[in-house]
Amino acid sequence: MRIIALIKQVPDMEKVKFDREKGVVDRKSAGTEINPFDLNALEAAVQIKENIGAEVIAISMGPQSADSALREAISRGADRGILLSDRKFGGSDVKATAYTIAAGIKQIGKFDLIFAGIQTVDGDTGQVGSEVAEFLDIPHICFVEKINEVDDDSITVTTDIWDGIFIEKMKLPGLITVTKDINSPRLPAFKDKMSARKADIPVWGLDILKDYLDENGTGLKGSATMVKKIEVPAAVHREGKLWRDNLDTAVDEFIDIMIENKVMEVK
Amino acid sequence: MDIKIIAKLKEIVGNDWVIDDIDNVSSYIKDETEHAIAPVPCYDCLVVKPANTLEISEIMKYANAENVTVVARGGGTGCAGAVVPIKPSIILSMERLNKIIEVDDNNMMVECESGVTLCDLEERFKKHESLFFPVHPGDEGAQVGGMVVQNAGGVRAVRHGVMRNQIKGLEVVLPTGEIIKTGGRLMKDNTGYDLTHLMIGSEGTLGIVTKAILKLYPKSKYTGSLLVSFNDKKSAVEVVPMILRKGITPLAIEYLERDFMLKSAKDLGLEWPAKKGIVDLYFILDQPKEEDLYEVSSKIVQICEENGAVDSLIAETTKEQRTILEIRSHGYPSVKANVVDILDVAVPVGNIIQYMNGIEDLSKKYNVKMPSFGHVGDGNIHSFIMTENGEKPEGYSELSDEIFKLAISIGGTITAEHGVGKIRNNSLKLQYSDKHLEILRGIKKVFDPNNILNPGTGIS
Repeated sequence: MRIIALIKQVPDMEKVKFDREKGVVDRKSAGTEINPFDLNALEAAVQIKENIGAEVIAISMGPQSADSALREAISRGADRGILLSDRKFGGSDVKATAYTIAAGIKQIGKFDLIFAGIQTVDGDTGQVGSEVAEFLDIPHICFVEKINEVDDDSITVTTDIWDGIFIEKMKLPGLITVTKDINSPRLPAFKDKMSARKADIPVWGLDILKDYLDENGTGLKGSATMVKKIEVPAAVHREGKLWRDNLDTAVDEFIDIMIENKVMEVK
Repeated sequence: MDIKIIAKLKEIVGNDWVIDDIDNVSSYIKDETEHAIAPVPCYDCLVVKPANTLEISEIMKYANAENVTVVARGGGTGCAGAVVPIKPSIILSMERLNKIIEVDDNNMMVECESGVTLCDLEERFKKHESLFFPVHPGDEGAQVGGMVVQNAGGVRAVRHGVMRNQIKGLEVVLPTGEIIKTGGRLMKDNTGYDLTHLMIGSEGTLGIVTKAILKLYPKSKYTGSLLVSFNDKKSAVEVVPMILRKGITPLAIEYLERDFMLKSAKDLGLEWPAKKGIVDLYFILDQPKEEDLYEVSSKIVQICEENGAVDSLIAETTKEQRTILEIRSHGYPSVKANVVDILDVAVPVGNIIQYMNGIEDLSKKYNVKMPSFGHVGDGNIHSFIMTENGEKPEGYSELSDEIFKLAISIGGTITAEHGVGKIRNNSLKLQYSDKHLEILRGIKKVFDPNNILNPGTGIS
């Protein structure tokens, strides 16, 4: 069995700072890490590898520096990593990203399962996984929180969405996006971490993917959407007010405040 | 409480800041000491919440003149009953003195009022570009004043030390109401007896700390947490001095028995990452360069593996490192309901193995389980005496005495960070001579001639 895990390198969202005036993320303000949901996806893949045997390939699209995320994935159980990187991939929206990743997967060749996190913590669109499946013309199941059974031909999973628990069976090859509840991603063994740092990460650009990729479908050119502005909401601080003397006035004023802040509706 | 006292306190701090109804007062008369050994609190108390040093001075002048007992209270996170009033008292809650006055980047110090919480400090320095405050005793509700007078320790004390190593100056209201300032933003100060250090660890018996100047340290860009697992406890303990002798000084080295961590993780709905072995050493590391972080980690792992380690994991993301610390910090709360006494002895780091051997012998002799975890990097392992069917085990007093004697016999102390409080007073004589105790009592008398400030604490 061959399993592909989709990995994205994201800023450490607990430390990263936002420039409210420019409406951008200050990427220099924090280190990077693997998107936390992708760690769940990778862990799910590695557990299948341990249980029934499989090759796990981590694939990522990003700048050259994203190779460290793939080395991290190797230290956590992936057998190898592939980076899709080309200046022309820059500025991709979800569609162009999914198109490029699908091309990378076609270049890998035969596969049985693809795992992705339900979303990334920086983009939060939650669409790349499903769109990759569409470009590959394979079935997919989203919001998976448990893998019930898997063999060479099919996978049965549990999803918990829209107030219902669904048990779904999918023929392979197929794609699955996972929630954080599916597992607790393992920490890398220190020795694996050290040996993974020396791992060779092949970089595939437009030239290598040319059989599966039209340049016009990549990067800004291939994007159907564009981010015009990012607004970072200001932090909300609690306010307090003390009434001491005229309690009747206080109650009236209190009700006015509640109405004004839409805490209560008076008809 | 006398109505005259209530009226006078309201005159000093205002009507809003005096509490005299028993329901509210009862929230201010206990701390985190285990129920089985905690002092019995006196409910006939008042809580007063002063706004500043001058109000505290006025309260102390009045209390001293009227001979009324005063107990200053911070976050109530202590483990030795120091803030538990045992006679009718004015409880001085420091919560309104909550300003971080100045972060002095040039001198790498922070000056703050004593009611600033550890949480406030952590939040402030999480946002600071280059400096941090190292001490983290655990419960972030702890207040700076309490941390000063308790000389708090905790996990991150191996490289930079405990509170005593961080305090450069204090503002203190004496029991007689005068205000003194000690030390300053100085690296050197050799002017007479050092009252700063006399206040540190005085458990609220010599004065009321209202401001403190604390040292700060440069942040390192790269941090990591190593979990190294062993199949036997002694091997885990033995490697610690070997690592320190190599010149490796992590921020923290913790000894964590697996049962504890599994219980704690389950309580929190988390998963303890280490699976192999039965006991883990937990190292918190920080280095300016990534390469240095891996080099130090490699040396630690190598020493541990040469001494029987069966697995080594590394956490580098903020979330994964925080999860480990969170599970570690919850270790004690997760078993607290079944703990009679969390012993707090410290021994020289090189003698920890003798201590652990002694604990094992005493467990057999008294036929009790004594799980342990704690700050092995600074010789302070907490051994827990557990309840038997909800009661103190037979021979509890003799057992705790024997543990104290064991620690003292190998150069240790009966309390490393929790303090004497109101629960270890009788054990002081095991460690100190009569003359030593006489000097301590003499010091108390100089500061507090009428014995109004937190009597029965530390020394009695």
